[in-house]
Amino acid sequence: MTDAIPKLAWKGVTKRFEGRTVLDGLDLSVAPGKSLVIIGGSGQGKSVTIKTALGLMRPEAGKIELDGKNVVGLPDGARRKLFSRVGVLFQGAALFDSLTIWENVAFRLINADGVPRKEARERAIEALEQVRLAPAVADRYPSELSGGMQKRAGLARAVVAQPEILFFDEPTTGLDPITAAAINQLISDQVRRLGSTAVSITHDLASAQTIGDEIAMLHDGKIIWRGPARELRMTDNPYVRQFVEGRAAGPIGA
Amino acid sequence: MASAEAAVRATANPIRILGRSALAAVRMVGAVGVFALRGALAALTPPWFLSQLWRQIVAIGFFSLPVVGLTAVFTGAALALNIFTGGGRFNAEQVMPQIVALGITRELGPVLAALMLAGRVSAAIAAEIGAMRATEQIDAMRTLSTDPFRYLVGPRLLAGVLMLPLLTAVADTIGVAGGWLVATRVLNFSPEIYIRNTLDFLQSWDVVSGLIKAAVFGFIVALMGCYHGYNAKGGARGVGRATTHAVVSSAILIFASDYLLTTFFTHTAP
Amino acid sequence: MGVVVLALAAGFLTYSLSVGGVHSKRGNYEISAKFGEAGSLAPGAAVSVAGVKVGTVSQVTLEPKTYLAIAKLSIDPTVKLPADSTAKITSDGLLGGAHIAIAPGASLEDLKPGGEIENTQGAVDIFGLIGSVIRPQGGGSGDTTASSSSPAPATPATQPAESY
Repeated sequence: MTDAIPKLAWKGVTKRFEGRTVLDGLDLSVAPGKSLVIIGGSGQGKSVTIKTALGLMRPEAGKIELDGKNVVGLPDGARRKLFSRVGVLFQGAALFDSLTIWENVAFRLINADGVPRKEARERAIEALEQVRLAPAVADRYPSELSGGMQKRAGLARAVVAQPEILFFDEPTTGLDPITAAAINQLISDQVRRLGSTAVSITHDLASAQTIGDEIAMLHDGKIIWRGPARELRMTDNPYVRQFVEGRAAGPIGA
Repeated sequence: MASAEAAVRATANPIRILGRSALAAVRMVGAVGVFALRGALAALTPPWFLSQLWRQIVAIGFFSLPVVGLTAVFTGAALALNIFTGGGRFNAEQVMPQIVALGITRELGPVLAALMLAGRVSAAIAAEIGAMRATEQIDAMRTLSTDPFRYLVGPRLLAGVLMLPLLTAVADTIGVAGGWLVATRVLNFSPEIYIRNTLDFLQSWDVVSGLIKAAVFGFIVALMGCYHGYNAKGGARGVGRATTHAVVSSAILIFASDYLLTTFFTHTAP
Repeated sequence: MGVVVLALAAGFLTYSLSVGGVHSKRGNYEISAKFGEAGSLAPGAAVSVAGVKVGTVSQVTLEPKTYLAIAKLSIDPTVKLPADSTAKITSDGLLGGAHIAIAPGASLEDLKPGGEIENTQGAVDIFGLIGSVIRPQGGGSGDTTASSSSPAPATPATQPAESY
């Protein structure tokens, strides 16, 4: 624990959906420039954790602090300024179907930052090169690309404006091991290059250990374990052990 | 004791269901109202996304022309035949052109064009925006510092309000042409007399009231598509549901507002 | 496809305006004519001299005292009609539309706006004629041929509804 203010912190965050409590007084924080990976079983509320931090969902209780300032319930204008400091890679890449790849990657630049189209296209192609997509891809449409290429384009879109915080929602889900490894490498390269703080959620352990400096496990709406990435396989915590070993029997009810 | 409790619960259940439905209905009216206001605000205040607006104008306006044209010509022709038959019962067949023109400009032009658009445009909007919602594209847009109301909803609302009156004007013209074709080819009216009677009889308010109705209907069609798409839940099935709801609610609102507007225009005609 | 629809609509609109445009009310002067039988003459019908359209019928009403049909004719201002012209309700064929044909007279004076054509001939009742030939009943069947050289009261004839 350092004395510095964490870049992002959840304090006592509670979120309910139709009677079901998904997040139950969640406490978590990420230090600036560090990469945190949240793991947990399916449906445990990992996506909700990210969405509350982004302001896409509003928690019933608790605070979410960015650089020490609570951002829950921000008015739209302040929220938009906040968004200019983050980049998000959604689970299915969430590219806009009716726009070309470069228009997707440059979306923020063109529509929110007022960058002229020519310059925006150049910056988009640069970002595509960062994620090892050829410039020829720039004029294709998302439906023409494979899942792996779409994720890379989504990553390019997230990093093109050099954000302070990056969020990755299940970046390798649904990809073959080789592509998954490529994505993991790209993510850790980008995070290191930008010096951003990163929060990822995944249930892919290989991914977790490649991307993350620290890993936290979410269960029943709370963080039940937290530690450096290398300690994941060494801990005695029974929940973590069951998850790591992939056993059906154990404290985590299937 | 137990049977008394059970009796109370049995009578309370239908009441609870009724109450819940009523509350849900009121909540929905409120939600749609709030959505409409946000959308209207996004459409009318800067910043605008003009390229998106243009795209919607072409999609809603230009590409709906064939459907509207076909609807209008057949309706005009059928209406002419029927009014001729009706007029014949009063020995008043000669007024058929005038009645047909009145019916088309005041009622059938705007309403039928709007209904065809409800099926075509409202469904397409709901499907597109619903699919965007299901694949997190709307969330993604927000994280890219772009307000989905300004980028998606506003342009569609504006395009609906602007394009349906123009489509109705085309429908009016083609509808009268349909009646004219039937009258001159089948019913042996004189071509020039038919047209002159029509033009002499029509008042500008007949046409203008129809165009005002069309603007309201255009707003409704776009709004229902956007609202149901934006709030679609649950993946592919949710998108399908949203599409159906958009079309049905558009149609119902078109008929309801048509009656209200017609009453209003009849009593306040200049 | 949308272009086709727009083109068709524009075409019909242009055609309509050009047809209706002859009936430009600006500058036309109005005269009237009374007939014993209007037949199917309706507002908008053409008024022609020597087969050339010079105006339109703007109104057809019934004069309460004389039971004559009064037609108001809107005439092109460049066309002057002698005061003793004759107006006849005629049709293009058995089933054609009724319109007014004016035969110019020899008078040196012209009809002024608001003037009236004195010599008129009303519409011919085809079916009545046929009926009187098939069933000749002298003059007592109501004298359905409404040809009169002066506006005299004529017995109204029954018209089959389909005559146009």
